[in-house]
Amino acid sequence: MQEIRRAQPSLSTAQIFFVAFVAVCALLALGVGSFPLQMSIATIFLFAGIHNFMEFRYFAARMPLRWGRSRTYYSIGIGGVIVLAAAYFSLYCLSGNWLWSLDSWGALTASWNTALVLWIGLLFYLRGNQRPKSDWSWAFPAAFLFAALAWMSPLYWSLSLVYLHPFLAMWFLERQIRRTKPEWLHAYHLCLASIPVFLLLLWVTLANQPNLPEDTDLFWRITQHSGSQILPGISSRLLVATHVFLETIHYAVWILLIPLVDFRAIPWKLGEIPLFSNKSGFPKLVLAALCLSGLIVAVLWGGFAIDYTTTRDLYFAFAMAHVLAEFPFLIKML
Amino acid sequence: MKRAISLAAMLLILSIAALADIARPQPSPKDASKRTIDTMLMIRLDHQAKDAVLKIPKSQIRQLRAQLDEMDSSERDTAAVTTGINRTQTIVSGSFLSLALVFGGIWFARSGNNASKTGKALAIVTILACAGSAATFVLANAGPPTEARSITGKMFTPAVHMYGFGSGRIRLETSTDSESIELIVPDPKPAPGGEE
Repeated sequence: MQEIRRAQPSLSTAQIFFVAFVAVCALLALGVGSFPLQMSIATIFLFAGIHNFMEFRYFAARMPLRWGRSRTYYSIGIGGVIVLAAAYFSLYCLSGNWLWSLDSWGALTASWNTALVLWIGLLFYLRGNQRPKSDWSWAFPAAFLFAALAWMSPLYWSLSLVYLHPFLAMWFLERQIRRTKPEWLHAYHLCLASIPVFLLLLWVTLANQPNLPEDTDLFWRITQHSGSQILPGISSRLLVATHVFLETIHYAVWILLIPLVDFRAIPWKLGEIPLFSNKSGFPKLVLAALCLSGLIVAVLWGGFAIDYTTTRDLYFAFAMAHVLAEFPFLIKML
Repeated sequence: MKRAISLAAMLLILSIAALADIARPQPSPKDASKRTIDTMLMIRLDHQAKDAVLKIPKSQIRQLRAQLDEMDSSERDTAAVTTGINRTQTIVSGSFLSLALVFGGIWFARSGNNASKTGKALAIVTILACAGSAATFVLANAGPPTEARSITGKMFTPAVHMYGFGSGRIRLETSTDSESIELIVPDPKPAPGGEE
């Protein structure tokens, strides 16, 4: 007797990942397109602090106990993060100094941008030296070229950092998937390809929309952050929606997707952190740093609840440190 | 390593202690709304006029002068969005561009067979893209037609509407006999037998 079997359609985990990613992006695009200011306030309140904590946790797990032949690389990487972050915060704090003219302020900002690109170029070069049969000395002309652009149009340069930073997280995820979940790589590439489609839909929908209201300090700062003053010909609704869309994906990558593909990034698995678990490690220091990070997240929530505008300003001044910290670890993964 | 971490932490803490200051609050956008004067504008096409003239009543110029004083503090912010390039920027960006070309040329010549074809292609595409972007700044500024570059009656024709703007030389005058701003626009009659 012949048995008839009905084939059950089954989805692989990669397909589920792709469908979930696209569905969430669609919902997100709808949300930020409809309520850009509200979504901006809500996402930063909910996720900004946690995503910093998750990044710190991820970097702690990736930091080797002994730097070995990467000693120069990590020294320059971490040293650069500290120096550039301190310089950025100093520039931020001294921005109201009456001794500084507009020209000197612009020159200092451009100098900081130059230091940033030269530092990144140097990290690429050092990383290239560690790879067999690699010559990454192209990093220097590239860094000089970007430094020239930073001086030519510092405002556009600074704005480009705001919009490009979310893509760093996506790059991190790509490298991580290659290492720990290669079967998801193709699906992830399709996910990345869907992002320009959503952006295009947002732009087409919002291009002719009126500007967002700027009648409160907070609304004004949100639109400024998205570049409404630098790009006055573009609807601020479109700019804010684009920024919030990319930033929210950035948060989702750090909080959800990276722990999903790399179990070493799950916050409570402290045994996966070499600096913590190794006999010659620094368990107390790591634990204290993680507790402090958790405390900062709680303080941020409190600050946002009490005075959202001021806390947002302070957060973005400090947040440059995490942007900088991403570079050494990302380049090391190449 | 412990020493390096301790030193780095100390540097970071000290830099914050030395420089921590509450940032100057950003100017409120509400202030900008105060810097306006509600008035009337009358546009008059004049066949006899040779130059465009904008007549502003004396009383309103006084108000504007008073508001100029108030705006002093915000001039810095207005200027911050100018996209012009000053001398320092030109010198430094030119130097970096030269360095990029020199180092890029050395790398290109040195790399020989070591660099992958993809790497070289990527470098060439990057350079062309950057050069293309720079060329856009220089060339993508084609002017509008002459009708939109002089303030005449032709500005109000549908042919100029598609540009959405117009500009031209204008004479500013102070008027004492009117309470509204008046814009006199020359409207020369078309030459007989000329193309309409």
